Amino acid sequence: MVPTEVYLRAYLTWFGGLAPLDAQNRARPRGLFDAWDDYLAALGLPDYKIDLPRQTQSNTLMLATLGRLGEALCVRAAEHDLHQKQPLDQRVVFAFDVPKGAPTDDEFAARFDVLHRTFLGYPATLGPPDRVARFHALYAAVAARHAGAKQPLTPDESAWAAVCTALVQHPEAELY
Amino acid sequence: MKRRTFLHVLGGGVAAFAARKPLFAAAAQAPADQFFVFVHASGGWDVTLWADPRNERKGIVEPASTENTDPAPITRWKSTKLDGDTDTFQILAPNDVALRFGPGIGDLYDLRHRLTVVNGLAMNTVSHPDGTAFSATGRHLAGGHSPASSIDVAVANELGTGQLLPDIAIGFPSAYIGDRLDRRAIPLRVANAGTISKSLARSDIYLNDDDRAAVTALLSDEAHELAGRSTYPETFERVRSQEDALPRLLGNDLKNAFTAKALTDAYPQLDYKAKYIGQGALGAAFAVEAMKRNLVRCVGFALGGLDTHNQNYKQHAHTQQELFGTIATLVKLLDVTPHPTRHGAKLADHTHVLVFSDFCRTPQINLSGGRDHYPNNSALVISPRFKSGRAFGKTDEAQLLPADAGLAFSDGPRPISPPDLLATFLHAFAIDPRTYLRDGEVVHEMLV
Repeated sequence: MVPTEVYLRAYLTWFGGLAPLDAQNRARPRGLFDAWDDYLAALGLPDYKIDLPRQTQSNTLMLATLGRLGEALCVRAAEHDLHQKQPLDQRVVFAFDVPKGAPTDDEFAARFDVLHRTFLGYPATLGPPDRVARFHALYAAVAARHAGAKQPLTPDESAWAAVCTALVQHPEAELY
Repeated sequence: MKRRTFLHVLGGGVAAFAARKPLFAAAAQAPADQFFVFVHASGGWDVTLWADPRNERKGIVEPASTENTDPAPITRWKSTKLDGDTDTFQILAPNDVALRFGPGIGDLYDLRHRLTVVNGLAMNTVSHPDGTAFSATGRHLAGGHSPASSIDVAVANELGTGQLLPDIAIGFPSAYIGDRLDRRAIPLRVANAGTISKSLARSDIYLNDDDRAAVTALLSDEAHELAGRSTYPETFERVRSQEDALPRLLGNDLKNAFTAKALTDAYPQLDYKAKYIGQGALGAAFAVEAMKRNLVRCVGFALGGLDTHNQNYKQHAHTQQELFGTIATLVKLLDVTPHPTRHGAKLADHTHVLVFSDFCRTPQINLSGGRDHYPNNSALVISPRFKSGRAFGKTDEAQLLPADAGLAFSDGPRPISPPDLLATFLHAFAIDPRTYLRDGEVVHEMLV
C-alpha cells in the first residue's frame, strides 16, 4: 500500500483542493464525518500522543474509514454541484449536465467518463469492457431505490453520489 | 517430454507451491473456539509493587514506602515499619497459593488461584519502544522497526482467519511482518474502542445501507476482474476480501454495539472513570462484547500511565491497582458470559489472557523521587492451559536483576526471556513457535 497521506492528498485534490480542516468542516454536518483526530490510527497514521506507530498494511477498518470520508465528500459534492445547480465551470466533481429522466447508455457513458478520468486518471473506454455497464447498473439501482422518497438529494443526484463513492474507493484508485 | 522430466517439473512446481503456502499449518490441530486477550501495561511497571514484592532495603533495593508512595488509596496496603517514621507495606503471602504479591495487585488478589506469574524476565533493554516490541514479538527492534510479528498476529493467523475481525488492536503494539501470513490476520488498529464504531458509522440521510451494499458488491466484482488481469492478482484479491467484509461490518447491529455508550452501558462493572487508566477500560468492555458475539479471535488493548520517573511515582501503586482491578473485572465478566459456540460453557474457560509491560522500574528511587527504566520484567498469564497459583522465574535479592530461573533450558541455566514466554504461549495452543519466533524455548513446566 502507499502511505495514507497519499490517499488523503488524493481525496483532498479530487474534491476541490481542500485543506484537511476544510474537508473536515465540509464533510462533518449531518453526521457524515467526525474530526480527523478520531481517525488517525484507524486510517493508519501514526498517533504520537499515544505512541502509536504508522501502520504498514491496509485493513478493512482503514477501508471503512476512507469509505466514510469518501461518501461524505461525494455527497457534499453532489449537493454543491448538482443540487445547487452550479455553473459547469464552478463544479468540483460533477462537471456535466444531468439529463432529464433516466440517462441512456450513451448519456451515462459520457458523464461517467468525466468521473472516471477524475478519479482513475484515464478514459473509461480504456477500462475493462463491462465497467461502464456495471456502474450504470449501480446508478439505476440507486436511483430506483430513492425514487419518490423525500430526501435532500433527488434520486438522480443520489445515484451520481453513489457512482462517485464507488469510484473514490475503486481498487485502481487505492492501489495506483 | 519424457515421463521422468515431466515428474521432475511437476515435483518442482508442487515444492514451489508448498513454499509459498501461507503459514496455517497448525490450524488443523489447534482449537478454533478459543479467545485471546493481550494487555499492554504501557510505560513500564514497578514489579516490586506486585509480582516480585520487596519491602526491605537490601543491596540497591529501596522499597516503596510512605516517603515515596501515597498509600491512602491502596486498598491492599497494610503498613509495617521500615525505619524511623517511615512505613512500608506488608507482603501479601497467602497460604493457598505459591505466590507473593505487593499491594499494587489490588482486586486481582482475589483471583490469585487463576494467576500464573513470570518473574525475572530478561529484557536487555530500557527503551520503551524496544521493550514493548520485545515483549510482544520476542525480537528487539531493528532500525526502529519490529522484525517479527507480534503474538496476537501469530494467534490470529493460526486460529482466527475465519472470524470477521480476527485481530483488533486498541492501542496495542501489534506488528504484522512478512508476506507469508494470511492477510486476514492483519490487525485492525485503533486508538480507542469507540473509534471502531465511528469508522463504521454512516448517515442514512443521503445514501442508505442498500446503496452501500451495491457499491461494495460492485467494487468486489471490479477487484476480482482486475485480479484476473493483473501480474499481482493477490493484491486485488486482498482488496476484494476487504470489500467483502465491509457489508457485515457496516451492519447496524455491529455499529451500535460498539459505541462507547453502548459498551459502558452493557458493562457497568468496569471503572471507566478510574483516575489513571479509565479510558483503557473500554478496551476490556469491547473484548467481552466482541468475544460474546464471536466476531474476534484476539483483542489487544493498552492500559497505561505507568511511566513514573518523578514525583508521579507516588501514584504508581494506585495506577497498578486500577490496572489489575480492570483485569480482575474483565475475568469476572468472562466468568458470567456464555461462550458463543460451546453450549453451557462460559467464556472464561476458553479465554486466555496475557499481560505484559515494557520493562520494570529501577529498584532504587532517583533524585526526583521516581524510578527509571530497568532491564527486568514480570508478566501475567490467566489461562486454563497454564499452571496457576504459581510463579516462574526469579530475580536476585540485591539488584532485582533476572536470575537463573531453575528451569531445564537446553542452553543451560539462565533467566526466562520474553521469547520463552511467547513460545510457551503459542505451544499451549498447538502452534509451532518456530513458525513465528526466531528465539525462545517452550517452558513445559508452565503448562498443565
